[in-house]
Amino acid sequence: MARMNTETQVQMPSPKKKSSLSEKTKESLSGYLYISPFFILFAIFGLFPILFSFYLGFQKWNGLGEMEFVGFQNFKWILTDPLFWKSLTNTLYMWVIGTIPQLIIGIILAYALNSALIKAKSFFRVSIFMPYVTSTVAVAIVFGIMFNSQDFGLFNVILGWFGVDAVSWGTSEWGVKIAISTMVFWRWVGYNTIIYLAGLQGIPKELYEAAIIDGATIRQKIQYITIPLLRPIIILTVFTSTIGALQLFTEPLIFIGRTYREEGITVVLYLYREAFANLAFGPASAAAIILFIIIIVISSINVLVANRISR
Amino acid sequence: MSETIKHNNRFSISKAFVYVLLSIAAFLSIFPLYWMFVMATNHNSAINSVPPAFLPGGELVTNFTNVVNTIDFFGAIWNSLIVSAVTTVGVLFLCSLAGFAFAKFHFKGKNFLFIAILVTMMIPPQLGLIPQYIIITKLDWLNDLRAIIVPGLIDAFGIFWMRQYISSNVPDELVDAARIDGCTNFRVYWNIAVPVIIPAFATLAIIKFMYIWNDFLWPLVVLREDSSFTIQVALRGLIDNYVRDNGMILSGTFWATVPLIIIFLLLNRLFIASLTEGAVKS
Amino acid sequence: MKKWFLLVVLLGLMLFVVACSDDSSSSDSDGNAGNNSDGETNTDNGGSGDSDSGGDPVELDFWVFGNAGYDVLAEEYKKDNPNVTININEGEMADQHNNLFTSISGGSGAPDIAMVEVSEIAKFMEASDQFYNLNDYGAADVGGNFLEWKWQQAQSVDGSFQIGLPTDIGPTTMFYRTDVMEEAGLPTDRDELAAELDTWDAYYEAAKTIKDATDKPIADAPKLVFNALRDQEEQQYFDEEGNLIIDNVKEAYDYTTKMIGEGLIGQNSLWTPEWGSAMADGSYATMPGAPGWMVGNVKGNAPDASGLWDIASIPEGAGNWGGSFLTVPAESEHPQEAYDFIAWLTAPEQQLKAFHEKGLFPSAPDVYENEEFLATTDEYFNGAPTAAIFAEAAKSVTPVYMGVNYSIVDTELDTAITNVAVEGADPQDEWDAAVERIETQLERQ
Repeated sequence: MARMNTETQVQMPSPKKKSSLSEKTKESLSGYLYISPFFILFAIFGLFPILFSFYLGFQKWNGLGEMEFVGFQNFKWILTDPLFWKSLTNTLYMWVIGTIPQLIIGIILAYALNSALIKAKSFFRVSIFMPYVTSTVAVAIVFGIMFNSQDFGLFNVILGWFGVDAVSWGTSEWGVKIAISTMVFWRWVGYNTIIYLAGLQGIPKELYEAAIIDGATIRQKIQYITIPLLRPIIILTVFTSTIGALQLFTEPLIFIGRTYREEGITVVLYLYREAFANLAFGPASAAAIILFIIIIVISSINVLVANRISR
Repeated sequence: MSETIKHNNRFSISKAFVYVLLSIAAFLSIFPLYWMFVMATNHNSAINSVPPAFLPGGELVTNFTNVVNTIDFFGAIWNSLIVSAVTTVGVLFLCSLAGFAFAKFHFKGKNFLFIAILVTMMIPPQLGLIPQYIIITKLDWLNDLRAIIVPGLIDAFGIFWMRQYISSNVPDELVDAARIDGCTNFRVYWNIAVPVIIPAFATLAIIKFMYIWNDFLWPLVVLREDSSFTIQVALRGLIDNYVRDNGMILSGTFWATVPLIIIFLLLNRLFIASLTEGAVKS
Repeated sequence: MKKWFLLVVLLGLMLFVVACSDDSSSSDSDGNAGNNSDGETNTDNGGSGDSDSGGDPVELDFWVFGNAGYDVLAEEYKKDNPNVTININEGEMADQHNNLFTSISGGSGAPDIAMVEVSEIAKFMEASDQFYNLNDYGAADVGGNFLEWKWQQAQSVDGSFQIGLPTDIGPTTMFYRTDVMEEAGLPTDRDELAAELDTWDAYYEAAKTIKDATDKPIADAPKLVFNALRDQEEQQYFDEEGNLIIDNVKEAYDYTTKMIGEGLIGQNSLWTPEWGSAMADGSYATMPGAPGWMVGNVKGNAPDASGLWDIASIPEGAGNWGGSFLTVPAESEHPQEAYDFIAWLTAPEQQLKAFHEKGLFPSAPDVYENEEFLATTDEYFNGAPTAAIFAEAAKSVTPVYMGVNYSIVDTELDTAITNVAVEGADPQDEWDAAVERIETQLERQ
C-alpha cells in the first residue's frame, strides 16, 4: 500500500512542475528510477551472497570454524571429481529430455488453445495449467509413488501391459533421469503453454484473417506470422527454462532423497550436498562458480540459436 | 470469426485432432492431481497396497482431521496468502515499471543493465543460503514474513517478461503521441502501457503467486516458529521420520493446493475478461 | 478499461487487507505450540524441577524431532515451574539439524534448547563455542545418572566440555514375524529363536531354511542387515584421531552382499514407502538391528499386524543405533533455566515416562532396575517384555566413536549396497568405488 501511495503522490504534482530538465534527461532519469528498485533490492539480497560465494570459492571452510585461503585448490578438486562431471552430464541429459519437449509441446498446445474453433477453451486452459499450481514437493511425492520400482508401481503396471519388464526407477541409470524429467515436464508444460498463449493473444487477429484471404495454409500461417511475432516470447522461454533446467534441484532432492545417488545427482544438488551434507563450503562455492560460467555459455548459445531459427 | 464461415471437411478433421490433443493433455495434466485426491481420501494401507487405490475412499475427514491436529493448517494458509499476495502485487508493479523503462525509454547503459539483470538469473541460489540468512538476521526478520516478501520482489524473469511483452504489444507511436500530449513518463506508463498489458499482468500474477506459494527451501530456513509458517513449511511437519502416513501427508498437500486452484480460477476469469475486452476494442 | 481498473482496485484492496493483518498477526502472542494431547495418562508424581517457582517469566524455545512426546512433559514441568514456558517446535529430523546448523553458522536464530541426534553431535561439537558448557550449570553432577558411553559421546575429548544431556539410546534387537517363522518351521518363541539364531552363521542358515520353505527373504532391507553387524563393532568408520578405518566394516559388508547374492535378503531401502508397507505384509521374516524407537515405526506402518511381530535378541550381542542429546546453544539468554529444564527432562523419572509414551529407550541405567519398568510388556509384539529385552541389550552396548563425517561414509556405503541389491553390481567393485568416493570427499574437509 505504502509503495502505491508514494508513487501516486509522486505522479500527482509532477505535471505541474515546470520542466527545467530536457525531455531526454527526464526520460533517462525516469528510466533509472523505474529500474532502481530491482538493483537496490538485488544489491542487498543478491549481490552480497554472490560475492561471498566467490570469496568462499578460494577458501576452505566448514561453515562453523575459521576460513583458510587455499587458492585454486577447490576448483582443482571439483574439476577432477568424476562425480562432478557425472552431475553435469546428468543435468544436460535431463535438460534435453525434460525441457526441449516441454517447449515444443507448449507451443503446440498454446496454438491449439488459441484457435478460434475450440469450445470449452477455459476448461482446457485451466486443466493444462493445473500442474503448475501443484507444489514441487507434492509433485515429487505423487510421482514418487507412481514411479515405484516394484511391479505394482503405476508406470511399471503400464509397461507391463506392453510386455515390458518392471524398471527400477529409483536406482537405474535411465530410470532416475526419466522419472525426474517427467516430473519437470509435467509441472512446466502448462506454464510454458500459458506464456505462449499470452504471446499468441497479443498477435492481432487481422493478420491471420488477411493471411486466410491470401489463401495461406496453417503451416504458412505458423511459419510467417506466429513464429516471428512470438519470437521475443520464445527466446524468453528458451532462456528461462534452460536456466531452470541447469539449476534443477528440488525434484531430484526429493526423488532420490539424501542418498544423492549418482544416477540422479544434478550440479546444484552436487553443490548443495558439498555444502550442507559434507560441510565443504569452499568446493561447493567453486562448483557454483563453474556452473555459473556454464550457464552463461549455454544461455548465450541458446539465445543465438533461438534468434537465428525464429528469424 | 471469418474462419467459421469457411467450415468444411478438412477443418473438421483438424478440429477433431485439436480436441483429441487437448483432451489427452488435459487428462495427463489432471490425473496426478486426481490421484492425489484419491490418496487423500484413503487409509495409508490402501495407498501402500497392491494394486493401489484408484477411487476415492472414505477417509477424507479422518485424514484432514489428522492434518489439523498435527499442524496449524489454517494459520499457515493465511500466512501463505499474505506472503503470496503482497509479493505478487509488488512484483507486478515493480516489474512492469522496469520492463516499461527497458522497452520504451532511452537511457545510457540500458542494454548493459538489462543483460546484468539476465545474468543475475544464472547464479544458482542455493549456495547463497548462509549469507542471505545472515542478512535476514541482521534485519531482525527471522520468523517475520518480510523475510520472504522483500527478497521475493527481486524478479528478473518478471522484468524480462514485461519488457518482452511491452516491446511487442505497446506501439511506440502511442507512447510518442501521449508524450506530445504532455503526459509525464509515469502517466504514459499508467494510462497507455498498463491497460494494454493486462494479459501479461494476469500471467505474471498467476505465475508469481504460485511460485511464492510453493516456495519451500528459503521459508524453511527463515521461518522457525509455528506462528510464522507458510503452508509448505507447515506441511513438512506432517512427515514424521518414523512413520509415513501418506494419507495424511497427501490430504495436507491436496487441501493446501485447493486455495491455489480457487485463486487461479478467479485470476483466470479476469485474464479471459481482459482478453475478450481487448478483442472487442480492436 | 473498467476491467483493469477492477483488477488494480482488487489488488490494492488485497494489499491493504494484508498490510493491516500483518501488523495484527505480529502483535499476536505466538507461544502455545500445539498441545493437542490433553488426554495424558501420566499423572504419577514425577520428580519436580529444581528451579524455584518464584522467578521472572521465562520463555524457552525448544527444537524437537522424531515424535518424542515432550509436549506432554513440558506441560507437566510448567505445573511446578509456572514462570517457565516451553515453546516446542517439532520438525523433521534433517530440517531441524539444518536449521540449527544455519543458525550457528550465521550467528543468530538458534533456540534455547536444541535436540541433536547422535550421528550429528560430533559436527556440532566442532563448534562448541556456540554452545553452553553444561558442566558450568551442574551437568558434571548428573553425569553418573547416564550410561557412561552415552555421556562421553556429548563430551570433549578431555571431558571438560559437556555439550548435551542424553535422551534416549537405541540398543539393537531383532524383530521377527511369528507367522513367517512358523511357516518356515523355525521356533516362534523368542527365547528359543534367540538360542537358535545365536550367531550370524546361524542367521545365514536360517535364511536358507526360510527361503526354501516360504520363498521369502529373511530381511527386506539390506542396509538394515549391514547396520546390525556394523553397530556391533567397537570401531566403525573412524578412530578417535579421525582416521578412516572403514575396513572394520568390510566383514559386515561382505556378509550383507553375500546374502544379497544368494537372494536371501530383499531390495528395499530404509525409510521408503515400500519399506514401510512391507512391515504390514509379512513378506519377510526378521528386522535385525531394530532399536527401541523402531517399535513405534512398526506399529505405525503396520497397525493391523498386532500379535504377528515379536522381539528376540540379536545374534552375537547388541549394538546401538540412534538416540539423541539436548543442547543449549550459546545464544540462549536463559541458560540456567534451559539447563534446569533439560536436566529434569532427562532425569530417570521423565525418561521412564518418555519410554511409556513413545518407546524412547532410557539412557539412565537406574531405570533398568525399576520393577515397574521391567514389567512392561507390549501386546502388539505378542506380549513381549519389551523393556526387559531392550535393557538386556543395552548392557552389551559398547561406546562407539562416530566422528564428524560419519554420515558421508554411511551414505556412500548405502549407495554401494543398494547398487549390489537392486542393480546386481559386483560387490567388490562397488566397495572400491565407495571407498574412493569417501576418500575424495574427506580430503575436502
